[in-house]
Amino acid sequence: MLTERAFGEFYQRHARAVWTYVYRSTNNAADADDIVQDAFLRLLQADMVPADEEGLRRYVFRIAGNLMTDRWRKRTREKRHDTASTEQAEASPRDLDVARTFAELKPRERALLWLAYVEGDSHRDIGEALRLGGDSVKVMLSRARGRLRDLLKARGLIEGEQK
Amino acid sequence: MTQYDGEITAAEERVLSGFMRRLQSAALDCSPRMAGADVLLLKAQLVRKWDAQRRVHRPIELMEPVEIAAGFAAAVLLLSWSVPSLFDWVPRLTF
Repeated sequence: MLTERAFGEFYQRHARAVWTYVYRSTNNAADADDIVQDAFLRLLQADMVPADEEGLRRYVFRIAGNLMTDRWRKRTREKRHDTASTEQAEASPRDLDVARTFAELKPRERALLWLAYVEGDSHRDIGEALRLGGDSVKVMLSRARGRLRDLLKARGLIEGEQK
Repeated sequence: MTQYDGEITAAEERVLSGFMRRLQSAALDCSPRMAGADVLLLKAQLVRKWDAQRRVHRPIELMEPVEIAAGFAAAVLLLSWSVPSLFDWVPRLTF
């Protein structure tokens, strides 16, 4: 188990990264707040946690991914849709455009792409984080990349980037 | 045409990586409202305390229906034992 001080330092260093991952995946700030808090609480309650910081970080990302998966499943059953955040703070129009493009993907696709590209996770780690089998990760990630590519093409961003 | 598997070219892959990097560095359109580490530590302590209390109270809660059932059975037994003598006793009452 983590000491209070170790937890405080770990939380300080990684909470925002976990929040950004969850927020970009769910597109809902309130959900991200809840999920991140829950994930770190579960870390505190766990009897056995990885000893190294990288392992701990992956552990929290995994819990957060599992919590998101639970919510998506629940919402699918309840036939509710994502409610995009209406809060607008400091983001520039360009940042907002990037975020809106990404938000057009399905939540699970966003999570897959974030873990693969931003966190650099392996298929196995992604599978554990989102409760998916290794083969499913490969197929779904490939599909998500294809969807993102099509979105970028539709917005003329692919040609723009290739110049 | 959209054929996802294996259809992404190296150039497109570079674009996707670039887009994801941009997304990672993009300013957020809202701010996190997360609790501080001290609040989480306190919550975790409370949850642990509640769990411990629940563990202690569990046998009592489990036995509650048994106690009710035993009480009910005793009442039925007592009633079935006392009703015949009650019937004997009622006609002797004079008003």
